[in-house]
Amino acid sequence: MQKKRSPLLKKLRFFKAGEKLSGSWTEVTPQDRGWEDFYRARWQHDKVVRTTHGVNCTGSCSWRVFVKNGIIAWENQATDYPTTGPDLPEYEPRGCPRGASFSWYSYSPLRVKYPYIRGALLRFWREAIEAAKNPVLAWKSIVEDPEKAKTYKALRGKGGLVRASWEEVKEIISAMLIYTIQTYGPDRLAGFTPIPAMSMVSYAAGSRFLSLLGSPMLSFYDWYADLPPASPQVWGDQTDVPESGDWYNAGYIIMWGSNVPLTRTPDAHFMTEVRYKGTKVISISPDYAESVRFADHWLAVNPGTDGALAQAMTHVILKEFYVEEKTEYFLDYARKYTDMPHLLLLERRGESYTAGRYLRASDLGLPLEKAEWKTVVLDQATGEFRIPNGSIGHRWEGKGTWNLKPEDEEGVPCHPLLTLLGTEDGVVPIELPYFAEGNQAVLSRSVPVKRLERKGKTVYITTVYDLMLANYGIDRGLPGEYPRDYDDPLPYTPAWQERYTGVKGSLALQIAREFARNAADTRGRSMIIMGAGINHWYQADTIYRTILNLVLLTGCEGVNGGGWAHYVGQEKVRPMEGWQTVAFARDWSLPPRLQNATSFYYFATDQWRYEELPMSELSAPTSRGATYLHPADYNALAVRLGWLPSYPQFNRNPLALAQEAQKAGASTNEEVVSYLVKALKTKTLEFAVEDPDNPLNFPKGLFVWRANLISSSGKGHEYFLKHLLGTSHGLLGNDREKLRTEEIKWHDEAPEGKLDLLVNLEFRMSGTALYSDIVLPAATWYEKHDLSSTDMHPFVHPFNPAIAPPWEAKTDWDIFKSLAERFSEMARTYLPGLSKDIVMVPLMHDSPDELAQPFGQVRDWRAGETEAVPGRTMPKFTIVERNYPQIYEKFTALGPLLEKNPLGAHGISFPAQEQYEELKRINGVVKGTGAGSGCPSLADGRQAAKAILALSSATNGRLAVKAWRAEEEKTGVSLQDIAASQAGNRLTFDSITAQPGQAISSPIFSGNTEGNRRYSPFTTNIERLVPFRTLTGRQHFYADHEIMLEFGEGLPVFKPALPNRAFTGGDQFSGEGKKTIELRYLTPHGKWNIHSMYGDSQIMQTLFRGGPNIWLNDRDAAEIEVKDNDWVEVFNRNGVVVARAVVSHRMPQGTTYMYHAQDKTLNTPGSRLTGERAGTHNSPTRIHLKPTHVIGGYAQFSYGFNYYGPTGNQRDLTVLIAKLGEVSWLED
Amino acid sequence: MGIFWWAIFPYLMITVFVLGHIYRYQKDQWGWTARSSEFLEKKYLKWGSVLFHTGILLVFGGHVVGMLIPEAVTERLGISDKIFHTAAIITGSTAGFITLAGIVLLLVRRVSVKRVRKTSSFADMLIAVLLFLVVSMGLFNTFGFNLFVKSSFDYRATIAPWIRGVLVFAPDPGLMNNVPLFFRLHIIFAFAIFGVWPFTRLVHVWSVPLEYLGRRSYILYRSVGPVAKPVKEWERASGDVG
Repeated sequence: MQKKRSPLLKKLRFFKAGEKLSGSWTEVTPQDRGWEDFYRARWQHDKVVRTTHGVNCTGSCSWRVFVKNGIIAWENQATDYPTTGPDLPEYEPRGCPRGASFSWYSYSPLRVKYPYIRGALLRFWREAIEAAKNPVLAWKSIVEDPEKAKTYKALRGKGGLVRASWEEVKEIISAMLIYTIQTYGPDRLAGFTPIPAMSMVSYAAGSRFLSLLGSPMLSFYDWYADLPPASPQVWGDQTDVPESGDWYNAGYIIMWGSNVPLTRTPDAHFMTEVRYKGTKVISISPDYAESVRFADHWLAVNPGTDGALAQAMTHVILKEFYVEEKTEYFLDYARKYTDMPHLLLLERRGESYTAGRYLRASDLGLPLEKAEWKTVVLDQATGEFRIPNGSIGHRWEGKGTWNLKPEDEEGVPCHPLLTLLGTEDGVVPIELPYFAEGNQAVLSRSVPVKRLERKGKTVYITTVYDLMLANYGIDRGLPGEYPRDYDDPLPYTPAWQERYTGVKGSLALQIAREFARNAADTRGRSMIIMGAGINHWYQADTIYRTILNLVLLTGCEGVNGGGWAHYVGQEKVRPMEGWQTVAFARDWSLPPRLQNATSFYYFATDQWRYEELPMSELSAPTSRGATYLHPADYNALAVRLGWLPSYPQFNRNPLALAQEAQKAGASTNEEVVSYLVKALKTKTLEFAVEDPDNPLNFPKGLFVWRANLISSSGKGHEYFLKHLLGTSHGLLGNDREKLRTEEIKWHDEAPEGKLDLLVNLEFRMSGTALYSDIVLPAATWYEKHDLSSTDMHPFVHPFNPAIAPPWEAKTDWDIFKSLAERFSEMARTYLPGLSKDIVMVPLMHDSPDELAQPFGQVRDWRAGETEAVPGRTMPKFTIVERNYPQIYEKFTALGPLLEKNPLGAHGISFPAQEQYEELKRINGVVKGTGAGSGCPSLADGRQAAKAILALSSATNGRLAVKAWRAEEEKTGVSLQDIAASQAGNRLTFDSITAQPGQAISSPIFSGNTEGNRRYSPFTTNIERLVPFRTLTGRQHFYADHEIMLEFGEGLPVFKPALPNRAFTGGDQFSGEGKKTIELRYLTPHGKWNIHSMYGDSQIMQTLFRGGPNIWLNDRDAAEIEVKDNDWVEVFNRNGVVVARAVVSHRMPQGTTYMYHAQDKTLNTPGSRLTGERAGTHNSPTRIHLKPTHVIGGYAQFSYGFNYYGPTGNQRDLTVLIAKLGEVSWLED
Repeated sequence: MGIFWWAIFPYLMITVFVLGHIYRYQKDQWGWTARSSEFLEKKYLKWGSVLFHTGILLVFGGHVVGMLIPEAVTERLGISDKIFHTAAIITGSTAGFITLAGIVLLLVRRVSVKRVRKTSSFADMLIAVLLFLVVSMGLFNTFGFNLFVKSSFDYRATIAPWIRGVLVFAPDPGLMNNVPLFFRLHIIFAFAIFGVWPFTRLVHVWSVPLEYLGRRSYILYRSVGPVAKPVKEWERASGDVG
């Protein structure tokens, strides 16, 4: 070893001369060069770890994290992605400045290092446990004592969190769980965590625990309003979009309400690169967004009027490319892959007609199986009715005729007729609902029809295509009001849209022409990248459908480089089957309780009590009118008819209910169910949703992890604070003089503080953590094993721990595991033995339940319109056995149901015994005598990740082959070849840690990536003739469910934003003489944060103003005398937020942007109006429930978790803005 | 008392000065720095630092001449007492004023500029205050004392021989008996500075890169003269610019 020499002695060599060389340009110096080591050591490190970030930008970028002396020192982008091929830019490197700053969090002052609990609650607990010596009774004595409960609930969000030991908090949580399960039922507990794809194991940890308890998981995609309901409506698919690399295949790109360079930073390069290939790029955005800089044209559309623009573009495309020039590529695509040739029944309405439902084989009296579910076309050659293969009836009868081959069940060729014009029996007038000005107007036009005698009555039928041409005002010489030309401001011309959108008619015309011309020339390579800007609206589904018209009419969908590209909270769990098995404990029991979060929060936070817009103002003039005035009534109807899930279920503990049935003599499960149905019919048993303000029906315990609910995603923030949490709030409106419900019981006094315990697992002190009762220190993304995938790219990335979780932090898997252990231990004393749990499940998507309610008719058993039959006219009821002392044993072992039940997703299933056996060797088996003995171990997150990868077709080639084989059987077309070359491929945890691996082509997803092709959705459907998972098996322009028609949404329509104002009649507001301005309030995604992540990091704070801010147009600001950087108060009846004004002409007049999720943890002053600390960006928001989103039990309109269901939209709002003047920090 | 201040205290401080430097250099290589705060504030520093450093170097030279050269030597060289004093007062006062202006600026900056204050250590504050005291008293002794007090006190007959005695390890505290108060305080505070020196930013004095003076100069970057004012896009378009 080298002897360490004294620095002083070394320094003395200063006086020794060195040897000069090369004409004294070089010197061999005797002096000490030790100081240079400092600079060398700066980038030296002990370890590099491949991991990623689990933030829900779903960028899923591979990162290398560097560890030095046991400390995470820095991170950089991985550059070793597999190549995309010779003719495409590469994915590497990926990552943005936000991700590059993540290591800051590990050691930041925001880090949650220890378990914390609300001080007042801990005091009560210690007193109670001392007195009761029984944790369950101790918990009861706190929550059932109104004084005590109120005391600690009112302190939520006001500090006072104190450190506690892990043992103590686990005991308290377990006591809460046991007490709630015993007293109210497991369905009174819930878990909320979003976007499994961003860290699948962490998601699965909590959802596995809760599923084993029988407690519901809450959805996120619909709650975030990121779910585009148009996607299931049109394709029967949740969301399927191209990977960003496929942008490079496009010939024409419209960025519509999507700010690609800002929100899709690591992907944006494909968009900029493809421009060098000649691709034209259009940006449609109300503000001068970053995306506009890259665009050849900027269409500055008025916020929320995008539907009008798309309607006009549809008009142009239909007129020029369908009627004037019969573009063969488009017409052929429309005939084969869309519902346009399918026949509709017309319904008489006075002297005129309206469009009704699809004609079915059963209407023709054809002796076919499932004839009510087979749609009809007319054959081009013979003019006869034909039943083409591929409709949903074919899908579930299982005869291998579910395909898009141009033939019928008998194999007779069938080429459908698109228009009846020329072969019509007559022309009839038709009325089409029109919503641009209120909901009373109709468009009077006409359609060519065929006459049909049915049950002694004459009925008329027409095609969807003929109806479309009538709706869009394409003049074919038929009677009715049609626009003369493009300058005629009748619906839906370019001149017409100008009035609403502010976009010049000539520009709309030009873009529509170019878009379609490019598609015709390139056979479908025109793309629309769409984003939150158009998706977070109440009417988003119909806005989307108007825009999807453009890609469907031009044959772009299912083509590489074309179609829709929806990137809003997008997520794609590539290893889907394995993940959902582990996540919902399907290996132990079925079904899990999966609840749509929008309904849950709508009732739990009592936002339903503040409705004022009657649905009769939104229903169509062509319908019989709104079924209910109050949107909540539609939700109650949906629960009753099995459309939507609803937990808490009944006004009775489901465990007690089973016992009650057994006491009443029900011995078998069937008898228990019929006892239950009878009780529901006689109303001796009620659905909890029919009385959400009854304390019996409150949600009692809520776990939140990987999410920032109380601030970032809690639309209706102040309603959460008041009703769910029972603490101080800034609600300025009231619930008097509001709409009243018919189906739901009204209590004059609304409850406050429904929730007994809010538990948050977090690594930073976020808004949710501050409002929680217990905060558990979670590991960061650099401290655990997990998996991440996205639809932006085809790779699956691992998380690997760079360091062990520091302080007392634990991984999510370990937290729930240890909680399960403590719970099971206590359950042996307090919840012993087996319990029977009656689980209510709605009629499910991608299952035969899709055939439950024919013709899309609403038949209410309670009104006596039909029989109450579980699984057909009402929800399904299943009896599940719970063994609470075994929860831990089951949590840590992959259960034996996997051997028995097939794996699958999206309606495809295949056996997986082989993989189950294999997993025993990969993970090892559980020893001992517990429930999990002999099963593959799931003791830690890494084993869970391995199980997920081994059990999914996208990561296990052998399963992919099995899945394709299963799909072949359903469709009768050959598909196995797609994955044949990848049969031996396998993504294992170690292989993706070494290098990112590309997912294997699987029928679980609709895109074919064989041969290193870029993923584009529906390419399998188009190329291999696999039907879409819809009623007709084709892509739908039309929707015929009664409630869709009730709201005039049979065809895509333009509907303006809701007419909500900041304050209305019943709400008190005193302006105090301040100058105010009313502006539309939008909360788009920000540049310096991803939701609330990074927004609170020191690095990001220094990049822009550092604190809450809101963007105003300069003229709007001048009107209220606000200068840049002034503090302003932003408020409406929902609440108040205070921020500093960013005055900029980039903003459109009349609209204000408060960039999304600026957490309340930094620089939040007091509000002058409430006297409390001001709220968050969500304070002025609330959600509006749209009745068409609750539809279920009918083909693609069937419930799926995160798949269909009402969205938590929050855009249709305005706020008042006033200068704040004196800023109070409430610190005195 | 006189023995402590004039025979013990100086050695104490010198010992701490020498051993302190050795200790610091051995143990605190990364902390051996001038702790520049230019990053935090530039305006005051630009003037304060230049004035102070220029002044203190001149003052140092003055002390060497005044203290170490015995009266006899200058007399032998034919420089009269009067000329010596006049020259000393003029040059000394000028240097003193420059130094004082510098240290006042630096001290005010350290206290009043928030970000500099917040990042200052105790040692930074202490040394700034000590320097201010020593410099202001020194200036008073050179300039004010001569101008206002009109005393017959001659430091060349008292302090200078004493300090030379200290340097050769033969201090004569008696020489300091009749030295006026401010001179005494000046000396005591000055030795105090020596005592704290190794533990403050003053260690940077020993790291003056003197070798740069004799080193061949590498030119890495050079400014290309006055920077042109950028022309705005719209000015060019409207032809406002030539």
